[in-house]
Amino acid sequence: MKPAYAALLLLVLFAPARTAAQERHAEQQPSGGLTRRVHPIPEVTVVGRRPIKETGVQRTKFDSTALKENIALSMADVLTFRSPLFVKSYGRATLSTVAFRGTSPSHTQVTWNGMRINNPMLGMTDFSMIPSYFVDDASLLHGTSSVNETGGGLGGAVKLATRPAAAEGFGLQYIQGIGSFRTFDEFLRLTYGNARWQFSTRAVYSSSPNDYKYRNRDKKENIYDEEMNIVGSYHPVERNRSGAFKDLHLLQEVYCNTGRGDRFGLNAWYIHSNRELPMLTTDYADDLAFENRQREQTFRGILSWEHLRSQWKIAARAGYIHTWTAYDYKRDVGNGTMAAMTRSRSTVDTFYGQLDGEYALGRKWLFTASLAAHQHLVESVDKNIIKQDGNKAVVGYDKGRIELSGSLSAKWRPTERFGLAAVLREEMYGTEWSPPIPALFLDGVLSRQGNLVAKASVSRNYRFPTLNDLYFLPGGNPDLRKESGWTYDAGLSFAVGKAGRYRLSGSATWFDSHVDDWIVWLPTTKGFFSPRNLKKVHAYGVEAQAELSVALAQEWKLELGGTYSWTPSINEGEPISPADRSVGKQLPYVPVHAATTTGRLTWRRWSLLYKWCWYSRRYTMSSNDVTLTGSLPPYYMNNLALEKSFSLRWADLSVKGAVNNLFDEEYLSVLSRPMPGINFEIFIAITPKWGRKN
Amino acid sequence: MRRSLRHTVLAALAALGLAGCMEWDYGGTEEFEASGAGLFVVNEGNFQYGNATLSYYDPETRQVENEVFRRANGFRLGDTAQSMTVRNGTAWVVVNNSHVIFAIDTETFVEKGRIVGFTSPRHIHFLSDRKAYVTQLWDNRIFIVDPERYAITGHIECPGMTIENGSTERMVQYGRYLYVNCWSYQNRILKIDTETDAVVGQLEVGIQPAAMVLDRYGKLWVYTDGGYEGSPYGHEAPALCRIDAETFTIEKRFGFRHGDRPGDLAINGPGDRLYWLDEGVWCMETTAERLPLRPILPGSGTLYYSLTIDPVRGDLYVADAIDYQQQGIVYRYSADGEPLDRFQAGTTPGFFCWK
Repeated sequence: MKPAYAALLLLVLFAPARTAAQERHAEQQPSGGLTRRVHPIPEVTVVGRRPIKETGVQRTKFDSTALKENIALSMADVLTFRSPLFVKSYGRATLSTVAFRGTSPSHTQVTWNGMRINNPMLGMTDFSMIPSYFVDDASLLHGTSSVNETGGGLGGAVKLATRPAAAEGFGLQYIQGIGSFRTFDEFLRLTYGNARWQFSTRAVYSSSPNDYKYRNRDKKENIYDEEMNIVGSYHPVERNRSGAFKDLHLLQEVYCNTGRGDRFGLNAWYIHSNRELPMLTTDYADDLAFENRQREQTFRGILSWEHLRSQWKIAARAGYIHTWTAYDYKRDVGNGTMAAMTRSRSTVDTFYGQLDGEYALGRKWLFTASLAAHQHLVESVDKNIIKQDGNKAVVGYDKGRIELSGSLSAKWRPTERFGLAAVLREEMYGTEWSPPIPALFLDGVLSRQGNLVAKASVSRNYRFPTLNDLYFLPGGNPDLRKESGWTYDAGLSFAVGKAGRYRLSGSATWFDSHVDDWIVWLPTTKGFFSPRNLKKVHAYGVEAQAELSVALAQEWKLELGGTYSWTPSINEGEPISPADRSVGKQLPYVPVHAATTTGRLTWRRWSLLYKWCWYSRRYTMSSNDVTLTGSLPPYYMNNLALEKSFSLRWADLSVKGAVNNLFDEEYLSVLSRPMPGINFEIFIAITPKWGRKN
Repeated sequence: MRRSLRHTVLAALAALGLAGCMEWDYGGTEEFEASGAGLFVVNEGNFQYGNATLSYYDPETRQVENEVFRRANGFRLGDTAQSMTVRNGTAWVVVNNSHVIFAIDTETFVEKGRIVGFTSPRHIHFLSDRKAYVTQLWDNRIFIVDPERYAITGHIECPGMTIENGSTERMVQYGRYLYVNCWSYQNRILKIDTETDAVVGQLEVGIQPAAMVLDRYGKLWVYTDGGYEGSPYGHEAPALCRIDAETFTIEKRFGFRHGDRPGDLAINGPGDRLYWLDEGVWCMETTAERLPLRPILPGSGTLYYSLTIDPVRGDLYVADAIDYQQQGIVYRYSADGEPLDRFQAGTTPGFFCWK
């Protein structure tokens, strides 16, 4: 490591820091002054208290310390270090998609406060567009468990939600982050609340030229003599070109709890994103001569109502999403004028409605019903052309599609030790119905000692083609079939501990899924790509995770978490050509092994956080050949953060220093996309105590 | 408690020590000496992957060397290699989405120089040692370059197109005139006077003329791919046009059926037989007055993507891109259609070039 980096690292390590978010989870000792606090170890959940609604469900929940770690993080970062998912990304503020259990990004369904937010044109969700500070409740529903929430999650579902802030009176929180590459992050939250009403306004603004340096191993700069003969060459140190971003997020929430069993909510989320698309390492263009930019404005709004009674509950939600996306690829034609080579615009309007009902029959039965509708209206203009008759025209499509998804479930827990649940889901996209989607879940307590619980589930599932799959010009294929699959899960979980001393929990799940008619976009002889139902994929493996919390000594606490996944995702289709060597091979860009670890050591108001992740080799070819030009070797990533908080009479303050890519690794997550080396960010947070007691 | 704390800290430090160090092999360079005649295979790779490669095949020894650019130079060829032209012992490799043309030695594969500054280069055609034209996509200009100085020296404005729908593709020279087919959302052949660098004629031939060759009788052969269903530019059956280069008029139009997807177009060494892809490999005398009824080489589940004819032996080489995500296969047949050899090239073998 370079001396300058080492010095800066030490500076950051010893700088005092702590996020205000974690304040809520610690209690101040009455006699401990400003720098003493205790760090409670949570109690082990007793098996008999398992909610019947979660029967057999494989769920990974992210706690608030993970979501509110720092304001610069997106959900892509949280998933990278806290989950067994593979996040495919090429740096901050770039398209970040996930491979859940070896499936493709569009096989992961994402909901926000119940509303599906996958892009209906692409099917996928860009997790870099979701600031983790805007999410109060996040969980993964693995494989079959996603059928409880929605259809189409052949890999699983990511469930995101906001929650009332539980404010009493006015509250304010402001966080400023300043980091390497002239990166600035700002977060502001205003809250007001009482027993009946809760108001919250959140804003995040992030900007950076994002022009980090890296050694470009994919290029050589030549040194010429006067006769233009090459007399030397070297791998240049370049900056990440065309990587700047400016992202603004606003989130307004209003909640009303009547206290008589009715809860109302309003959530409105606005995104204004302006991002350049970074150039490849192999691009020899002058970045000043080209502009490659994507802009997005999205509004998501939801109105919700819940009516709760002791035995039953009904809920209704209505929502609307408007997304405007612009992609511009421009070229300086020589006189300083940037001429458009591609001027692509798309508008998506989605109207959403959902009704849910639950009825508990005694303590042993729970029945649920749900019906959700998403009406998408898409207008996509991809290119301007001049027709043969000289008139102008645009290449694109203008389509709408209604998507209905309904489910019924019955959950039965005859004894504390055993539970059984059945879900039947039915979906309709456009005019096409899916066959019934059944899912069966069961769980049982094998041993009260150690809270050893076994879970198993099986489900059918379908994913309909996206609107681009069907209608994109050129290449859309209206004859595509929906993908279909069977998934099986079985796993064990345990939890042991002693209140105030330690808590250890863990789980391991085996899964096996078969997906038929897997849709793949391939080039055609006409120079464009077109989707086809090509592959039959067998994805299977094991996901394991463990968490440990230990009170090491008075005022010392250690929390460790880890995940590991083994996910062979094998193409088992027919060879598409006599020479096809992809059958029996791992899908490109899906690592077979992935592991993450986080460790947090807390002492009084200090907290040291260490994060580590590892991905095995990702093949870039369907034949799994490892060539000089096309492979991505395994990599490790290490991040470190040190926090210190202060509780003053008038405000809570905290300072945090974060070091990303601690060992300054040269690494790639995606071919030809360099990732930043060691980089730093400092966060300062202030939460005034207006009208509150210290 | 103190003991457990000490153990924990020691364990954490030990784990930190294991956490770094990534496996990276950037490799060095290799020396090649490819004397004699040979065949270059330009492998496009995948768009935005930066994994284009260059293969070299010796028809005598039947040996293939893959990734020769990377191995000879120690760095990557780039993103979406499009075409290649050999002139006086130098091969000029056009790497479309890297916005560069590399000049390499045809025997050692070592870089001699590079030309940068393009919008989206497709093909290079030499007029002399000091002058060449470069066609482009997404640009209404054909660039003029000085190969000796590796510099862009000017451009030719193409009429009837903007930068957004600009597309000029293959170039064929007949005397002082150069013919260029305009492909993407276009329907014309341009005639350029190479002495004045001016467009002096245009000829409408059908929707999206994709490839063009010149036969021994001075006839230009152009195939139009017909666009695609739903295109606002129009959609028609593909066709093969015979154009008299002297008069710049269409002599005959051979229509394919709707749904046919003719691909690459090539001509043999003597210039009297045309070859093209349409699932299988098709062949026709340049004097023929109708399209053949059946291919000389039927497709058998293959995804043929490009082809060439050995200008000396007359052997046919056809590349199967398979699924475009693995190393493609090149099949070699004799002029009589006898299988002679097969070898693995790179991902998406899209262009052949003889040394």
